[in-house]
Order: sequence, then C-alpha cells, then structure tokens
Amino acid sequence: MRPILLSGHERALTQVKYNSDGDIIFSVSKDHVVCAWFSHNGERLGTYHGHQGALWTVDVDPTSTLLATGGADNTMRLWEVKTGKLLKTWDFETSIKRVEFSSDGRQLLGVTEKRSGHLGTIVVYEINPDPEAEQTSEQSLRIVCDESKATVAGFSYMAIYIIAGHGDGSVSQYDAKTGELLYNTPVHEPDMQITDLQWAPDRTYFITSSKDKSAKICATDSLEVLKTYQTDTPLNSAAITPVKDYVILGGGQAAMDVTTTSARQGKFEARFYHKIFMEEIGRVRGHFGPLNYVAVHPKGTGYCSGGEDGYVRVHHFDKPYFDFMYEVEREQANL
Amino acid sequence: QDLAKKNTANRQVVEQRRRLLEEWIAWRKNMIEMLEDEGAEIELNGGVIKMEHDGEVEEVE
Repeated sequence: MRPILLSGHERALTQVKYNSDGDIIFSVSKDHVVCAWFSHNGERLGTYHGHQGALWTVDVDPTSTLLATGGADNTMRLWEVKTGKLLKTWDFETSIKRVEFSSDGRQLLGVTEKRSGHLGTIVVYEINPDPEAEQTSEQSLRIVCDESKATVAGFSYMAIYIIAGHGDGSVSQYDAKTGELLYNTPVHEPDMQITDLQWAPDRTYFITSSKDKSAKICATDSLEVLKTYQTDTPLNSAAITPVKDYVILGGGQAAMDVTTTSARQGKFEARFYHKIFMEEIGRVRGHFGPLNYVAVHPKGTGYCSGGEDGYVRVHHFDKPYFDFMYEVEREQANL
Repeated sequence: QDLAKKNTANRQVVEQRRRLLEEWIAWRKNMIEMLEDEGAEIELNGGVIKMEHDGEVEEVE
C-alpha cells in the first residue's frame, strides 16, 4: 500500500506517536503546533495551540485522554485529547526535550535541557487521569544529572525504574521512587549522544539509537546490551515492532553535515533489521531529509516516520511483510 | 569443493540463527514469568489497560 503523506506542518518534525489503539497519530514540530491525525486515512483531526517555541516531544496517556508536550518555550503542557483544551502548564528554566507517561498513565516525566547555570534534570509529576481534575504543580521526584545530561528517559515496567539515555552515550537506571542512581553503563560510543529510547510493549527491554550509527536493545533489569544494529548513518530514532520480530531505525546525515559529494545523498531511509538475528532486511525510501522519529503502530500493522523535511509518512504493512520468515523461524513456528 | 565450503558456511549461519532464536525465546519466557510474579497486568497485556466493562456503565441520555 502506498504511504500516506501528512502535510500539515511547516517545519521539521521532532516526534510522532500513536495512541494505544493505533487509530490516532500525534505529531510535533519546530513550527510550535501539535497535530492529531487519523492513522488510517491521514485526515487531520485537530491541532493544539499554545506553545510559544519549537516542540521537541509528545506523548499520549494509555487511555487516549491526556496529551503531554514539551518544547523550547521551557514549558511542559498537558492537554485534553478530545477537546484540545490546555489543562496544565509547568514552567522550567530550560527546554523540555522529552515527556513520557508511565504504563498506567498515573505518572508523567519530563527531561529538561542543560544550559549554563542549569544542570539537566528528570522531573516526575503524579497525574490525575480525570481531565476535569486539577493537576499538581508539585514534582514527586527530581533527578539531577550531574555527570552527563539526559537526552531521553522513560518509565520501566510497573514504573519500578526510570531509564535514561545520556549525551555521553551511557544509559542510567534510577529507582523511580527515590530517584537514586542504581546503575550507569556505557552503551554507545563515548560522547555519542543517545537520540531515542523506545520500549518493547511490556517494557522489559528497550531500544536506543545514537549518533554513533548504531541502535542497541538492552534489558531493563540489567542494562545488558542484548542486540546491536550497525548502520552507516547517524541515527535519530529506533522502534521495536510487535507481531514481527523487527526493529525500524531512522536517521540520516543532514545536508549541511554531508562533506563528501560522492556519498549517496542523505540516505534518508527507514531501515528494517531482524530484531533477533540483527541482520538488515529492507529499507523504505521517501523522505527528503533525515528521519527524526519513527513510531510503530501498537498492533504492529504499520509505522510512521517524521522527517526533517516537514512531512509525516504513514505506512501500512503489506502481506509479504507478515509472511516473511527465516527458515529457523518457520521451524520454531512448526514445533 | 567450493560448493562444500559454501554449504558449511550456510549451515553455520543457520546454526547461529537457531541459537540466537532459542536464546531469545528462553529470555522472553523468563521475563514474562517475572512480570507474572510481579502482577504486571498492563505490561502482560502489551501495554494496554484492560477496561472494566462490568460494573459501572456510562449512560448517555
């Protein structure tokens, strides 16, 4: 099936997210606007206005009631999905690079940027799932990243840990109740920023992408690197597909960073790797600039990518995608 | 002889994949058991919250 092109943003996309049913896609861009789209036909459902700067991040709660956003205007905001009503604004000293709900939607974390005089932090708020309720201004937790700033973070299964990826390529595991740093380990090349961290559906493992051109799957409990996917381009995003054991990686060198003219221009492709065998199995072209984010439909029926070119491309997987099996997978299925 | 070499190489690749698949399946089984022990309902349901349809029913007038 041909991809659906969502053209409503005027500037680069920074993050795209499906809701838990997979019928809605939320997108944020440097153009300050949050958009909601029907994933099956690409029709725009609505926009959320209020942010005064580039948006870096978006997440939707598991019941598709509340939407969280964060951006360069140093605010993290909470919206009612259905009405577009702004429910809460939390103000900070620096931009918000990442927001993410816990799996029960009762907690929301934000990652704040590091700037002169301000260390990067991870903040947590208790969330009342009722859109009519007053939301708290009190942080239930504040983690200060004094070693290397966090670039991405999220809650583990049952919100036992907060896992963060850092600017120095390391991954940290914090106690999500006390904020205590339990463990920090280099996962990617030193000083190669971790650009994305996405969970497996049950949050017992996650995938990170990095400017070091690789993506890795780590175990949530041990932070052990279980899988490595090596590419030839800096990566901005990595996602795990349910149903099929694949991962989708997105990235690409921005035009201004490409120094060699002989190099195949850009390499703006979504790359599919087999999750378990770590072998590349295919690429999908389309964007005219780096892929800044890839998100997978929660039922594994498709994916979408947000590009530096200002477009969201929504793909529905065809039958051959589901039929494809390695010989050893077929053996296993027939056991 | 080349053909024999190729076959050996192929067999090694397949063996390696079989091993990786078995390892992965075993690890996943451990993780699922761990989640069951912890009573992680949402996680065991693939991250989706089960809606309670019995009990309260919302009435639209």
